[in-house]
Amino acid sequence: MIRFNHVTKTYKGPIAALRDVTVDIPRGEFVFIVGPSGSGKTTFLRLVTKEERTDEGEIWVAGKEVGTLAPWKVPYLRRNIGCIFQDYRLLPERTVYENVAFALEVIGRSRHFVRSQVPQILELVGLGEKMDRRPNELSGGEQQRVAVARAFVNRPLILLADEPTGNLDPGTTAGIMRLLERINQYGTTVVMATHQQDVVDAMRKRVIELDQGQVVRDQARGVYGMVDA
Amino acid sequence: MSFASPYLLRETGGNLVRNIVMTVAAVVTMAVSLTALGGVLIMRQAINQATVQYQGGVELVVFINAGASAQEITGLRQQLAGMVPEEIRSCHFVDQAAAYAEFKSMFSGQPDMLKVMTVQKMPPSFRCVPAKAQNVAQLASQLNKQPGVLNVGYPGQAIKEELARFATLRNVALVVAGGVMLGAIALVVNTIQLAIFARRREVAVMKLVGATNWFIRVPFMLEGLVEGLVGALIAFFITYLARDTLASFTGSNPLVPDQPLYVSSHEALLTGIFVVALGTLVGAGGSGFAVRRFLSV
Repeated sequence: MIRFNHVTKTYKGPIAALRDVTVDIPRGEFVFIVGPSGSGKTTFLRLVTKEERTDEGEIWVAGKEVGTLAPWKVPYLRRNIGCIFQDYRLLPERTVYENVAFALEVIGRSRHFVRSQVPQILELVGLGEKMDRRPNELSGGEQQRVAVARAFVNRPLILLADEPTGNLDPGTTAGIMRLLERINQYGTTVVMATHQQDVVDAMRKRVIELDQGQVVRDQARGVYGMVDA
Repeated sequence: MSFASPYLLRETGGNLVRNIVMTVAAVVTMAVSLTALGGVLIMRQAINQATVQYQGGVELVVFINAGASAQEITGLRQQLAGMVPEEIRSCHFVDQAAAYAEFKSMFSGQPDMLKVMTVQKMPPSFRCVPAKAQNVAQLASQLNKQPGVLNVGYPGQAIKEELARFATLRNVALVVAGGVMLGAIALVVNTIQLAIFARRREVAVMKLVGATNWFIRVPFMLEGLVEGLVGALIAFFITYLARDTLASFTGSNPLVPDQPLYVSSHEALLTGIFVVALGTLVGAGGSGFAVRRFLSV
């Protein structure tokens, strides 16, 4: 589903954000990208959505080589990818329903489709009763659930999560992780960047560890900080 | 994607209302600029209409009796041909039908005059460009004595003065219109820039979820287009309704003293349509520039 083939990405300055990264993430997998701040986790995710360009190497996403993709095709690639972030990125002046509906409206989905899908997905994330609330009337965990609903409402093949539980308490974090796991069970490939050890250790999923832009560990059913013997 | 989708219309409307002060400023400036331009066009039409017989360098019109015989007209034609090129540079004949069409255009605002005139009553004429302008009076006197000639008109100086006065007025108005138009474009660009800034979070989400570049851009472009269109419609109504006043700014008819200049409603309508099209184009162009400059998708 996602394949990095000797990918190098350098920002201004001599230090590479990613160096010769080769990774293959099959369809339906749940993968943690771990590593300290500045190790290249966010760059990894941004390359998948083509928010950044590689300097070297190839990236394949959902069967398409991202580097050679024409600019006008990028939005269509992104429709296969849902994204969630630590800061939720919700639209504060819109209700929960409108925030989720927005993701469908702007890709030209019919009003009928929007009306049928949004309540369904809000029920899935446990916010069926709070459709008319605005983000500032919700807790952090609930806001992140709205973000998950928005990312998943178009049933993407891939869900990218960049530190999605970074602002949440352990109980709320567990709830969000259960939700992501459930989405993964529907067949969506989930790639989550985090540096929360307890989250990674509890899930025992594949772990790709980055350090100074290089893959230093790629382990099935791994834990956060060391090689599981 | 349907360009009339409720989403796009809602977003465009929202943008216009959100930046209401800037929107009004852009619309008013556009209206002022286009009214100045429309006014110039109306005035030019009024002048053209009044001096239609004297365009293309014609300074001498030899009017022939409506009942003149073919021999008289042929004789006059031969005489004029004999004066080329020493005294007259060129001449052309305007028959009764063409003269009547011209009359209808000149007096389209005066139905009473149109009622009493018919094709048969219209005098045909020879329109002549003299070889030397200073000889016009002498030529007129000479031709006036010829058989079949009704009279000879040569109000060249009055027309020249009128056209010179109009040229000054036109140049001033065009400079004003151009300057204000630049201001209008700057305001449209600024309004769109503010709208893009105000909606930066939404734009970021749209990009993230896979909205196409056009879908992101269109509400902003429509916003500029609407501003241009509304400003142009205001200018249209002003120029259309005040067409006689605008025409009178150029003075009175140089050929018929005390008769004011005017333009027909049909010509004013055509001018208005041009102004609306231009305003819409400028609004869309300004917003298109702003979108390209400030919205990276």
